[in-house]
Formats: sequence, structure tokens, C-alpha cells
Amino acid sequence: MRLSLVATVFGKEWREIGSNRLLLAAVAAPAVIFAAIPIAIVGFIEVNDLDVNQLGQIAVMLAAFPDLPPKLAAQGFIVTNFMAYFLLIPAMVPIAIASQSVIGERQARSLEPQLATPIEVSELLAGKTIAAALPAVLATWAVWVAYGLINGAIADPRLLRMVFSPQWMVAMATLVPLICVLSVLLGVIVSSRVGDPRTAQQFGAFVVLPIIAIAVAQFLGGQATFSMSQVLIGDLVVLGLIGALLVIGSWAFDREEILTRLG
Amino acid sequence: MEGLGRRFGIVTALRDVSFTVRAGQIYGLLGPNGAGKTTTVRILAGLIAPSAGRVRVVDLELGRDNPQIRSLTGILTESPGLHDRLTARQNLTYYGRLYGLTDTALRTAVDRYLAVVGLTDAADRRVGGYSKGMRQRVAIARALLHEPRVIYLDEPTSALDPEAAKSIRELVATLRDEGRSIVLCTHNLDEAERVCDRIGILNGRLLAEGTPAELRRRGRAAATRVALDGGSVDASALAATLGSLPFVRNARAEGGDLWVELAEPRRDTPELVRELVTRGARVLAVAEDVASLEQVYLELVGERVERDPEGARAA
Repeated sequence: MRLSLVATVFGKEWREIGSNRLLLAAVAAPAVIFAAIPIAIVGFIEVNDLDVNQLGQIAVMLAAFPDLPPKLAAQGFIVTNFMAYFLLIPAMVPIAIASQSVIGERQARSLEPQLATPIEVSELLAGKTIAAALPAVLATWAVWVAYGLINGAIADPRLLRMVFSPQWMVAMATLVPLICVLSVLLGVIVSSRVGDPRTAQQFGAFVVLPIIAIAVAQFLGGQATFSMSQVLIGDLVVLGLIGALLVIGSWAFDREEILTRLG
Repeated sequence: MEGLGRRFGIVTALRDVSFTVRAGQIYGLLGPNGAGKTTTVRILAGLIAPSAGRVRVVDLELGRDNPQIRSLTGILTESPGLHDRLTARQNLTYYGRLYGLTDTALRTAVDRYLAVVGLTDAADRRVGGYSKGMRQRVAIARALLHEPRVIYLDEPTSALDPEAAKSIRELVATLRDEGRSIVLCTHNLDEAERVCDRIGILNGRLLAEGTPAELRRRGRAAATRVALDGGSVDASALAATLGSLPFVRNARAEGGDLWVELAEPRRDTPELVRELVTRGARVLAVAEDVASLEQVYLELVGERVERDPEGARAA
């Protein structure tokens, strides 16, 4: 694989994404929303006195942080529990970009002239994948850092340690990029079979729903956040899914298939 | 290429197509929609594989050497296929890089071909706002950017106004003069006749091939029209006597003129005129009636056309 050609495709895609305000809004909106809600809750808890006797059913949350005072324990639970939703950013954003990219190329019939150059399909797809995945990775990391700093600033600096915990560092470094790649591959494959970006994005539910289910189960089970072993298992599961999609993608995206079906 | 064939499932798009395009030659591919022109070009450009046959492009074997073939061929696709959010310059720069151009060579090539297609002033506008003709010109520049030795042009002038179309035809002729091999797919028969050195008429298989002049003579027996001074002799009586001449296949009178089918028009026309004069006819003009390329094309692809005496061309 020639990295210079991958970089060329990436540069072109990046330029196109940068000029598409709607797409940029689609990248930014989920990131802001997923961060803003828990920050607002933490802020609300901070400015209001917490009556432990009124906690009732959420007392189980506090058990996750037995060494902390109830108010900080509640904030800690909210801060760490909502972080699972950060995984929705790499699940949702790349599929939107990838489907827009592939279907946009199909509609403009611009795949054929690219494939008529010496570039290999793998190089073209690698450039597109990185370009679709990178905004989501960067957005997730940016929101994660901002989220930790803001919560630490408005509530208690001890929240910083919860946000920047070892397992979340590993999750940000491995799970987030892997989910991005999974989402891109799904977007590319689905886009090769449907003609409308919105339809393609609806298939993102295959990635989004399991993450939501995990987050909800975690909340209901009173688990504040992922353990390191859960993060690593998540890495392996996503890697397996990526492998399966690569196999599907390899026949869905050979040069001839692209031209005769998608061109 | 020899015996080229291509099937898509149960549909045979191409069957046993063979032709050669030499360096410095423009080869026109004519055919109706669905005739296999685009499939042929895609095979030649190494984009799709043939089901049968063998193709060599500049001493390279199609299939084995596809990446090299793609690097020395330029293709104008059926649809311009531009990236609308990029400017013309950015589009060309992107493709230049894909073809391996870098730095000064890339900038020089982009500037040169923007000028060649007359888009220097609009180079930094997004192509999404371009007219069809401007988009087509960007696509043409893209096909030529890396100075390919073999060029495939699919309907290059289809979206252009007459002035722009003329300039593109001149450009194509210049490329031919530079020694490049060009395959030109077109529906524009007049353009094919004017620009192409050889023409293949395709409809799933190659129905006919030759120079434009050879193809025009092919559709039917060439007839020689002889305009007579009406007062000299009776054209009908004269036509009846011409049948006995060994080089005359058929003769008839029409509107005071004679229509004579000769065995070999170029060889026999002087002899025919001599015979007519001997028989007392006053010959005003002689012209060889050659079918137009359009007539030949329509006859070959299955449509019947009435012979148009007005279409006769001066010999």
C-alpha cells in the first residue's frame, strides 16, 4: 500500500468534509450533546444541596464510590456512567461521513475516474476510511478532555481522576478508533447497496444500539463505568466484527464491482 | 485487441471484437446506446476484465500489467465525475497526484491544462457551480494531465457549444499529431468522420471497420451520377444501351440524369464519360454518389434509410 496515495485521498476527503457545514454539524452535535447533559446534571447537583434521604432508588449509585461523600459520589457516578455514551460518537459520526462520501461519489459518478488511475482499491478505501474516522476520533477525544476539565472545574478535582482513569485512557486509545473503523466499514458496505445516505445511516443502529444497551445495563446494574477487562473484551469483540466486515467488504468493493454496480 | 468478449451474467455485452489502434491514430467507436462502447473502453483502460480475448496496450498485457496500463492511459469517462466541493484546480491537483505527479511538475501540468481547456480564470471556483460544458472541459483536462500515451474519450464534445467543441476537436487532432493513440467513442457521426482516422461500428460485435471513406463506400454499390444536357440525347435510351458495357453493373435514368453503377468507379469513370460522349451525350458533370457515414451506420445497426440522391458527393 502506497501511503502517499492514501494521504492524497485522505487530503481530498478531508477538504470535502471541511467544506460541508451540514456534515460538520453532524459531527459536532452528538459530541456536544453527550457532554452537555451530564455536565448540566453535575452542575445541578453542585449548586443544590443533596439530601441523601431523598436519593432512594439511586442510592445504589453511591455504593460504587463508598469512600466519597454522597454528593461527590453521585456526581462521580453521573460523570463516569455517562461516559459510555461517548462511544456513540465514534459509532454515529463515521457512518454518516462514510455513507455521505460513498453515496456522494456514486451520485457524482466520480469513482470511475479515480479507479482509472494507478491507485488500488485498498488505497482508495484506506484514505476514505481514515478521513471518515478521524473527525469522530478527534471529536471524541476533544469532548473527553473538555468533559473531564469542566467537571473537575465546576465540581471537584477528584472527578478528573475518574474521567482520566486508566481504563478510559485505554478505551480512548483503542476502543474509540476501533468503533470508528467498524462504523466506517459498515457505512461503506451499506452505501454500496443503498442509494440514499439516510438509509445507510439507519444501519448505524447495528453499532449504536449495542452501545446504548451496554450503557443502560451498566446504569441499571449500578456499575459506574467499565472495568479494564470489559474495555479489552470490547476491543476484541469490535476487532472480530471488523474482521467480518473486511471479508464482506473485500468482495463488495473490488474494482469491477464498484464500476458495474456503483460506478 | 483480439477476440474481445464480455458477459455480465447471462447478457453478452461484447462478442469477438478485434481492432488495432496505432500510435498517432484516432480510432472512432460508433454504436447505439448499449452497444458496448463504454464496456470496451473500461476493458481497455484496465478497469474491468474481459470474459474472452486478449488486449495489449503499448506492449503491456491487459490483466497482468493493469497498474502500468492505467498509468499511461487517460480516460474521459461518460460522465465528468468531478468532486463538486473542490475547485477545478483542486480536482486536477488531486488526480495529478493519483497519477504520480508532484511539486513543480504537478503545478505546471495543472496550469497548462487549465489553460488548454480555457478555464484558467475559473480555476479557483468550485466545480459544483460550473456549467455542463465547463465540467466537461475539466474532465478533459483531467484525462490529459499526466501526458498519457493512450487516451480514451467517451463523448468528449457532447456537452459543449460549437465553438468549444471545435477547440476540443482541434486539441484531439493535436494529440494525435503528437503520436498518441486515441479511442474516441461518439454518437456524433459528423465528428467521427472529421476527426477519426479509422472507425469501428459496434453493436455488441464489430459490425464494420475501416477509414471513413472505406465505410462510406461499404453500405451499397457506389453509383456515379452523370448530369446530361437534356437536349442532346434521351437519358432513358442511353441508360438501356450502357448495360452492355463490361464495366457497368447497372444503369438507370432519373430526372434527366444517369445513375451508373460501375465495377471500379475510380478506374471506370473516364471510360464511361468517353463512351457517353461517343454516343452523342453532352456531359455536364460527373459525381460519385457515396453513402454518408450516417447512412452506412444506420444500415449496419439495423435501421433502413432511403437513398438520398441529394446526398451525392462530388467525386
